Amino acid sequence: MTALLEIRDLRKSFAGVHAVDGVSFTVEQGSITGLIGPNGSGKSTTIDCIAGFQKADGGRVVLAGTDIAGRSAHQIARAGLMRTFQTVRVYENLPLRDNLAIAAQQFDDATWSDELFRTRRYRRAAAAAETRARELIELVGLARYYDADAGILSYGQKKLLALAAALMPRPRIVVLDEPVAGVNPTRIRDVEDVLRKLNAGGETFLIVEHNVEFITNLCHHVIVLDQGRKLAEGTAAAIHTDPRVLEAYLGMTPEMAEAEMRGAA
Amino acid sequence: MKAVAIVVAALAFGLLPYLTSSNYILGVAVSAAIYTVAAAALNLIYGYTGLLSFAQLGFWGIGGYATALTVVTFGGTFWLGLLWAGLLNAALALIVGYPTLRVGRHAFVIVTLTFALLVTLVARDWVDLTRGPLGIPGLPAPSLFGFEFKTTSHFYWIAWIYALLALGFLYALGTSRIGRTLVAIKQNEPLVRAQGIAPMPYKLAAFAISAAITGIAGGIFAFHLKVIDPLFLDFYYMQTFLIMVIIGGAGSFWGVVIAGIALSALPEVLRFSSDFRMIIYGVVLLVIMLVMPGGFAGWIRQRRLARMRAALR
Repeated sequence: MTALLEIRDLRKSFAGVHAVDGVSFTVEQGSITGLIGPNGSGKSTTIDCIAGFQKADGGRVVLAGTDIAGRSAHQIARAGLMRTFQTVRVYENLPLRDNLAIAAQQFDDATWSDELFRTRRYRRAAAAAETRARELIELVGLARYYDADAGILSYGQKKLLALAAALMPRPRIVVLDEPVAGVNPTRIRDVEDVLRKLNAGGETFLIVEHNVEFITNLCHHVIVLDQGRKLAEGTAAAIHTDPRVLEAYLGMTPEMAEAEMRGAA
Repeated sequence: MKAVAIVVAALAFGLLPYLTSSNYILGVAVSAAIYTVAAAALNLIYGYTGLLSFAQLGFWGIGGYATALTVVTFGGTFWLGLLWAGLLNAALALIVGYPTLRVGRHAFVIVTLTFALLVTLVARDWVDLTRGPLGIPGLPAPSLFGFEFKTTSHFYWIAWIYALLALGFLYALGTSRIGRTLVAIKQNEPLVRAQGIAPMPYKLAAFAISAAITGIAGGIFAFHLKVIDPLFLDFYYMQTFLIMVIIGGAGSFWGVVIAGIALSALPEVLRFSSDFRMIIYGVVLLVIMLVMPGGFAGWIRQRRLARMRAALR
């Protein structure tokens, strides 16, 4: 396996608080990697820095051999890293069709004049995007809403739309910020299936999520952050029994947890 | 079907001088054509892109003065004056827009308002250039290949053809992928950036295009009035354009075009009661805003959404 995304010593502080304090990890090509941690552990800041939505104070972010640290968000997207947002973002007043088409338009060869005069090159690009959009909307199960405005979707459906939009330009890697927070529990399994299917097709994912079961089911590799530092990493199974992780999450060691359970019984 | 109806309506407006010889009606029609274009240009930057620009008033005034000065002071033709009006405004929009758009939407509103006030000051106080409060009276009728656009009905052709060209261009732009991107920027700028699109060139282009179109409209309107003075920068014009956009429905091309024509005609239709004319006009605006807070197009949109929801349930 080769490293597709490599984070080296990433740092970011706000008014003296070290939100991200020297985090390093790698995401392997073709993997599903999870990034977990308690509230305030620096997960969101980490991926905001990776995607260019915040400027890191220091460190390197290497995507497929190129250091993208310090570039602006749209440049990083063009380099092949697409992200979704914790509080879902879609174009509420545009149909799903347009929501998906916009996500891909920067990645074809049509220029402004092609767009204005609807040249053949523009029509070819639009037709290719349309094919891709129909394929993805089918995959996430929103096909019947294709021509409806995104505003009429439920919160969970919007998350699926945002996922489909992120996949539109066939990015190198997709960073998902809490993809199942607020999604109906019965639909979380569907999201898992979709991601697994895409991953089998070669797509690489970095997922930030609070839902531990979701992460455990899906991720090949898990990184745990606490107070801006990497606390542990490994397979989901190994993370589950790591005493440091349990202490960070539950505020107690396994022995204490065991004692408490005995006391309750 | 729809396209045919639009072409027929556009040509019908061109026949107006054959239907009436009243200079009064034709004068209202010139205003309607020019105001509608200025409102549609404001719609591009405000309705589509979500950037409320009061600078339109400044562009309108600069366009008027640039055209008048080209003819009167520099001895150029009316058409050259219009070209200058467009180019100068586009350049100014880029210069004002670039630093301002980096700051944020609220700063943009304030800076564009300041710009409009500054243009008013220049028009009044740079007496050597603009002749100050006395203005420039007696603007000559434009001519083309020896034909002089002397009467109001002749001048109406200029306004009509410009309206067709400008509205046609704005329609093509608005329905293209560029127009869709402007709407996306208004709705969710961080998402636009996350999708690899840099918002700045789109915003600047929308601002510059809207400035150039408004400036040329101002140039034509000044020669319709045959005089230009600082009153050409009265806030009344800005207010008129803004009302047309809001009543028509910000972001809707046809909504704004229909509102532009209807609201140009409305105060004239109400002339039967000269005492209460403006009061009735105000009441009509209030009622429309209460019944349709999203403007005419917003109201239609809400109904369509409700049907869509019902159909998908």
